[in-house]
Amino acid sequence: MADFIKKPVVPLPDLQPEPQIPADQLYFTEEEKQKIARFKEQYLEPAGAVMKTLWLAQEKFGFLPPEVLQLVADELGIPYAQVYGVATFYTQYYKEKKGKYVLDVCTCFSCQVCGGYDILHYLEEKLGIHKGETTPDGLFTLQEVECLGACGSAPVLQVSNGPYVHNLTPEKVDQLLENLKQGKLPPFVSLTLPQDEAELGGNRRSDAEAVESYRTPPVAHHTR
Amino acid sequence: MPRITIDGTVYEFEGRPKLLQFCLDHGIELPHFCYHPALSIPANCRQCLVEVGMPVIDRETGKPKLDENGQPVIQFMPKLQTSCSLDMADGMVVKTHRTSEKVARAQRDNLEFLLINHPLDCPICDQAGKCPLQNQAYKYGPEGSRFEFLKVHKPKRVKLGPRVMLDAERCINCTRCVRFTDEISKSHQLTIIERGVKNYPITPPGVEFDDPYSMNVIDLCPVGALTSIDARFKARPWEMSATPSITITNAKGSNCYYWVRDNLIVEITPRANTAVNDYWLPDEDRLDYHRFNENRPDGPEVRRDGRLVRVSWEEAYDRAAALLSGIEGQRILFLGSAYATVEDNYLLKRLAEALGADTPVYIPHIEPGHGDGWLRTDDRTPNAQGCQRLGILPVDEALVQSRLESGDIQAVYVLEDDPVGSGLFSAEALADIPVILHYYNTTNQTLAVADVALPAATVVETIGTYVNCDGHAQRVRPAKAIRTVNRVLMREIGKSRLDQHGTPYDRWYNEKHQVDCKPSWEILPEVAERLGHPLRYKGPKYIMQEIAETIPAFAGATYEAMGLEGVRLVEIGAEV
Repeated sequence: MADFIKKPVVPLPDLQPEPQIPADQLYFTEEEKQKIARFKEQYLEPAGAVMKTLWLAQEKFGFLPPEVLQLVADELGIPYAQVYGVATFYTQYYKEKKGKYVLDVCTCFSCQVCGGYDILHYLEEKLGIHKGETTPDGLFTLQEVECLGACGSAPVLQVSNGPYVHNLTPEKVDQLLENLKQGKLPPFVSLTLPQDEAELGGNRRSDAEAVESYRTPPVAHHTR
Repeated sequence: MPRITIDGTVYEFEGRPKLLQFCLDHGIELPHFCYHPALSIPANCRQCLVEVGMPVIDRETGKPKLDENGQPVIQFMPKLQTSCSLDMADGMVVKTHRTSEKVARAQRDNLEFLLINHPLDCPICDQAGKCPLQNQAYKYGPEGSRFEFLKVHKPKRVKLGPRVMLDAERCINCTRCVRFTDEISKSHQLTIIERGVKNYPITPPGVEFDDPYSMNVIDLCPVGALTSIDARFKARPWEMSATPSITITNAKGSNCYYWVRDNLIVEITPRANTAVNDYWLPDEDRLDYHRFNENRPDGPEVRRDGRLVRVSWEEAYDRAAALLSGIEGQRILFLGSAYATVEDNYLLKRLAEALGADTPVYIPHIEPGHGDGWLRTDDRTPNAQGCQRLGILPVDEALVQSRLESGDIQAVYVLEDDPVGSGLFSAEALADIPVILHYYNTTNQTLAVADVALPAATVVETIGTYVNCDGHAQRVRPAKAIRTVNRVLMREIGKSRLDQHGTPYDRWYNEKHQVDCKPSWEILPEVAERLGHPLRYKGPKYIMQEIAETIPAFAGATYEAMGLEGVRLVEIGAEV
């Protein structure tokens, strides 16, 4: 984003792209179709299920090139243009091929103040790439993102739209990269909220125990 | 009846209208960009903000609380409301920017936001001069810019489709274009992509914006983000005059404005008429103006020694009359035209009657599969229904062809059509008999066999009436001047063009590109008179008056009744 402020140019997307997913792999299995049908039932209109279906497609294909968006649109019976609009709105939907692990480093206000850029630049040096790029071995993509909503534990990064790594230090980054190279994703960590400060002796910056769960209560009825 | 107070004035209303539409209907101007009466209401431009209050109701009595003066106490909503999406309610009190400094401030600040990343393209922008953003920025906006940083640059000159060009920087994301393709044309070809300062409308990858109604987004666009590839950089709005008329590409007769500069049609844009075309115009109607500018004839011609020779109008009339006078009326074939006005066809019918000939017939131009049940029709002529209502019926091809072969037809009088080009007759079949032709363009193939060629005024140069496929009778007005002096036309041009552009009385007047043609309602009486049948009228208005009085299918269809929006003939009591 910092680059965008210095040189605010919005590029034109490729309007005639080459298909990147082979035609014989471009389909949803029966199981996935049933899942999508369930998503549709949860909303008044099929368009409501577009985000969940896009997520499912991204998990299946790894990213969302136009042909996958078209597939999603056909499956849901909604206009392709609408799916494209939704997919481009959210940065969490990957429109191009990324590395195996996408490291989203937050550089928004709180993280910036607490050293978000230091972490970003440390990662750039360590991986030998610039932000927005992917390492030659296809393992890591480094991205600078806007607020991840975890200002209390800044600086923060997110791995592949999944778990957060809080209170980053260069050592923690080293450890994270080692773990990821071995295929070990960081655990989901549930951090204390400000009202728990008393319990922690007034120190909110100390790490809380990691919880191996992606869900915190209350959990919506339909996801149970 | 429920009442609403707007800026201290009390209005009565019925039902639950939206506040913005109600204000616009009552001549209270409110600035707005995203609202359009035919589209859904997203309220995303935030320009139509107003202060809204309701009377305080006493909970115990259930009646409005009154202040010491006996006036109801009004509690205003804590935040400003978008008037476009606000349902009106009884007792509501509204303050617009005229009475509320808060609203004026909000509108000014909102414009400042809209203009932050808006490029200073106005000097080269096609929209400048008719741009709502420009107008409202002048009227309600801040005087200068406080923005000291680099503006966001987005893609420019993006061809969305064959007819529409996108300039993403100018876009204010009102989403009118997206809503048009989603709700009206239902082609779903546009969407807003990205977010925040980066967003703009575009087609998804691999999709071309080739909707047959795509150019409507150009008029909907309240800025210059979507412009017509065809009309780009051709003329500024203030150099052109706009004449309200109708298009003649098909039988729908969609209402339009003809934009004229130097007596050339530059652009055709839609004119709202809920009885015919709402606010829309198909692309084919808009791009169908070359026929008025190109391949136009230069004065009347007669055939001498096998060649067409340029002569004066009087000589041409004399020659036409001389050719017809020796022939028995029954043996002259009069061809009416579904391109010509009701008045012209009526005069032709009168002439045929006077000479004792059969009632004229017209050549239908039907293109099966062309229509879409909306604003495009299979019939590619504007006035087939008008002809039929006059008793001029489609030609029985086999019958007239056999009559011509057997020598039963000894002369052909063609009103504004092309019997050779449309395949009714071959050029050889007509070679030996006199052919008198009223024509629009030099591409007319019947010219090769015409003995007298009379250039006729097209829809943009004449006055007349067309009846569309739904029986809606509409007037056309002269948009551009012709070379001949015709007092009726001159007067009408002055009336139809508010700026008087093109009349000899103003400083822009010029004689460039004037076509030497005449309206058929001037030519036909001249020919008729020379044949000994006076057919004089003071103008097309009086011809139509006579038609309305004498022909039941046109009962009541006078120029006064038709006005700017035309009349549904059934509704004014005309027979079908």
